[in-house]
Amino acid sequence: MPGGSNSGGVGAPPSPPHAAASAPSRPLRPSRYVPVSAATAFLVGSTTLFFCFTCPWLSEQFSVAVPIYNGVIFMFVVANFCMATFMDPGIFPRAEEDEDKEDDFRAPLYKTVEIRGIQVRMKWCSTCRFYRPPRCSHCSVCDNCVEDFDHHCPWVNNCIGRRNYRYFFLFLLSLTAHIMGVFGFGLLFILYHTQQLDLVHSAVTMAVMCVAGLFFIPVAGLTGFHIVLVARGRTTNEQVTGKFRGGVNPFTNGCWKNVSHVLCSSQAPRYLGRKKQLHSVTVQPPFLRPHLTDAQLAAKVLDNGIQGDLHRSKSSLEMMESQSCDAEPPPPPKPELRYPGLSRESTLLNKAPPTPTMYKYRPTYSSPGKNHTALTHAYANQISRGDSLKESSSLLQSSQQPGFRSEPSLDGREAPGERGGAGLGGDRPGGAGSVGGAPGLGGGGIPGYSLGGRSYPSFSDPTVLSPGAGGASRSSSVRSGSAHNAAPVSEATTSTSYKSLANQTPPRNGSLSYDSLLTPSESPDFEPAAPDLSAPRAPVLGYSSPYLSAQLSQQRDVELHQPSASSVSLLSSPHRAHYLRASSSPPPPPLPERERLLQDPHHSHGHSGSRPPRFSRPPLLSDSAAPHPYPYRTRSTDAPPGPSTHPPRSPHPPPLGKSLSYSSAAAAEMQYRMVRKASASAGAGGGGGGGDEIQMKSFSRTNGQPKSSTSSSGSTPSSPCHPMNLSARPGQAYTGPGNTQSPAHKPGGGVKKVTGVGGTTYEISV
Amino acid sequence: MNHSLQDIRQQAAISAKVFIQRDYTNGTVCQFQTKFPSELENRIDKQQFEETVRTLNNLYAEAEKLGGSSYLEGCLACLTAYTIFLCMETHYEKVLKKIAKFIQEQNDKIYAPRGLLLTDPIERGLRVVSFTKTLNSH
Repeated sequence: MPGGSNSGGVGAPPSPPHAAASAPSRPLRPSRYVPVSAATAFLVGSTTLFFCFTCPWLSEQFSVAVPIYNGVIFMFVVANFCMATFMDPGIFPRAEEDEDKEDDFRAPLYKTVEIRGIQVRMKWCSTCRFYRPPRCSHCSVCDNCVEDFDHHCPWVNNCIGRRNYRYFFLFLLSLTAHIMGVFGFGLLFILYHTQQLDLVHSAVTMAVMCVAGLFFIPVAGLTGFHIVLVARGRTTNEQVTGKFRGGVNPFTNGCWKNVSHVLCSSQAPRYLGRKKQLHSVTVQPPFLRPHLTDAQLAAKVLDNGIQGDLHRSKSSLEMMESQSCDAEPPPPPKPELRYPGLSRESTLLNKAPPTPTMYKYRPTYSSPGKNHTALTHAYANQISRGDSLKESSSLLQSSQQPGFRSEPSLDGREAPGERGGAGLGGDRPGGAGSVGGAPGLGGGGIPGYSLGGRSYPSFSDPTVLSPGAGGASRSSSVRSGSAHNAAPVSEATTSTSYKSLANQTPPRNGSLSYDSLLTPSESPDFEPAAPDLSAPRAPVLGYSSPYLSAQLSQQRDVELHQPSASSVSLLSSPHRAHYLRASSSPPPPPLPERERLLQDPHHSHGHSGSRPPRFSRPPLLSDSAAPHPYPYRTRSTDAPPGPSTHPPRSPHPPPLGKSLSYSSAAAAEMQYRMVRKASASAGAGGGGGGGDEIQMKSFSRTNGQPKSSTSSSGSTPSSPCHPMNLSARPGQAYTGPGNTQSPAHKPGGGVKKVTGVGGTTYEISV
Repeated sequence: MNHSLQDIRQQAAISAKVFIQRDYTNGTVCQFQTKFPSELENRIDKQQFEETVRTLNNLYAEAEKLGGSSYLEGCLACLTAYTIFLCMETHYEKVLKKIAKFIQEQNDKIYAPRGLLLTDPIERGLRVVSFTKTLNSH
């Protein structure tokens, strides 16, 4: 099988399949082929053994139809497997320069379209240079935007999108049938040979049965999950990010039509590798763009190279985000140009450089090195806010780089409001914390996956659209669909500033690993809290929840495909799904930023709160955690000055801060509330906080950057979004820093307030 | 300043191409907006433009139709373990060829004489239809 040859060719490390499968989002090249090689090996090997040892006797004893039937099914499995593996999933070619005509500064990060009456947000993809069509998402593993993105499947080492979803689905169905057949006939063989179990044939049959039995559960679980998805007309990405939770799916045409569309529609065309038709008419200038472009190409190339890290980091983020949807409910349009105010704000607030959340940041060529340095700096040295501030400023100035654009990672970060759309499933409570989002919590769809979240349509809540205050924060808050536009300028600044930074963020721990799912989450009672957040606090920290969700989903997807019960657990735990989504919120902005945000008297928390709690994740974040309105934040909140800095917030500024940034908007909101509640009760020590903070940093850092942070975030690439990661991810960076630093951080039941480095306080709901 | 010069150039460049975006009001079905862009006002008349875009939309709708032919094609592909794709052209591809021909024809007859060039959206992933202004005059 090609997979096997690939791995052999590249000298893949001989790690066990599951190890490879659980590899971080940015694995070594060779390890990308390990899961697919393992899958191929198991499939072909077991079936061959079955045919050689079991079938001869069966065909003699019963009928020759037995091996024929099994052979046909097996052929079907292999054919679909190959198609799913090798077929282009629907990759969009990169847009050409001429399409990118809007000025960078003012080009909004999101564009809203109305689909069947529902507002859908289209995000600008800085890598591919266009606004992603609905249901399209950028896969960080493949570094491509894929149409009707479902997920990236490690078992076939390919994205599943519009063109090959059918084959993937049929592969699952046929594989389930095949496993059942092999197991059943093997059992028949054994039952007739109970007295001859010492035969080689019997032993081999039993081994094959074991393998079949082992794989049956996850495969069947995944098959069932996809059957439901097909019937509901959703993609995995949308399901796990909770986009349509409690809302209406604008892409469904009814069960029958959905199924027939998947199975019976004509094969979609590929976009890459097409022969470009030569135009008979030559284009005359004044098409000066090309010249300009050429002139800038060197700069851009240089930029790219220098920004290579950023870009790569972005891709990890994107991977996370890849799962998230771009079809999030569009945040209230906020066309302000925040940028001008950013520097001002930043100086005023002495916060991290504001990241323009709203705008795709086309980079006029500026010192890439500076930016790059700034970025790494920002991420690597979260400790000194000042540093990051400086850097972020420099970043801002020069960062018009594409990297700073609305990369998926930024998503979560940049706009709390934005998030509404981001993969979080659009739960953002439409507008001012439409409390209505809460109903979304109901576990729609597959329990495990239907994360809470506001309904998709709720995003267009007018309250959310209110032209809030404060540029950046506003946009972000708007994005989050919360009316927390009041977010102070500083917040805005912070949030915006982080957008660019967010782009660079290291992989978030977004993958709300299933661990968090498995832990009994704090219930969805978070949700009620969310609406309150829409109040005056501007959710500053509404970072990239979409991003997080993407990450989360990515992570989840990886886990899904693992032959583990994770999928089962996912399916079985609606709450988990909530968590999952929440945690998948975009990677938290660099710590300093968060801290800054938190410091903002306007309560950046509000920001998170304002985000519509797309998912009903809040439970993840400690209930007691200070109510951090920032939906993306996971539980930890940065409250450098401590509660005192947030007078408006009641108990104390919920130190959800950065951790919140991980979660989806919805989750952040909820968390915010929970944090608020918890703040009163939480007495997390500073030590714990420190550890958490470090963890958080590492999470965010891991997103895009090599883990150079103090924390040994072992988080998988997708993590930043997991608020839970802090508490629930044992294997993740969480454990690393946590072990060292936050003794207080223990899964206990309430909210732990941990003071991170630099004074950030996190409230981590254990 | 470079920046300003770039802006000027950008503006100039921008005016050289007009993009017709996708119309997503009915979901992800391939449709393009029939709204007449202002940049083409002095080049072609609205009716002509709308007719072109409508025809394109109809063709794409035909390509994506869930009819008997596409169903049979799917069944046949399944039965032959998808090897049929090596020799047969899918329904969508057939319609795409039709579309390419239609665009070529429109260019030759209608748009080239007016200094415009209509590009096939498939080159850009069916995201936009672009009109390129081939003459400098406005």
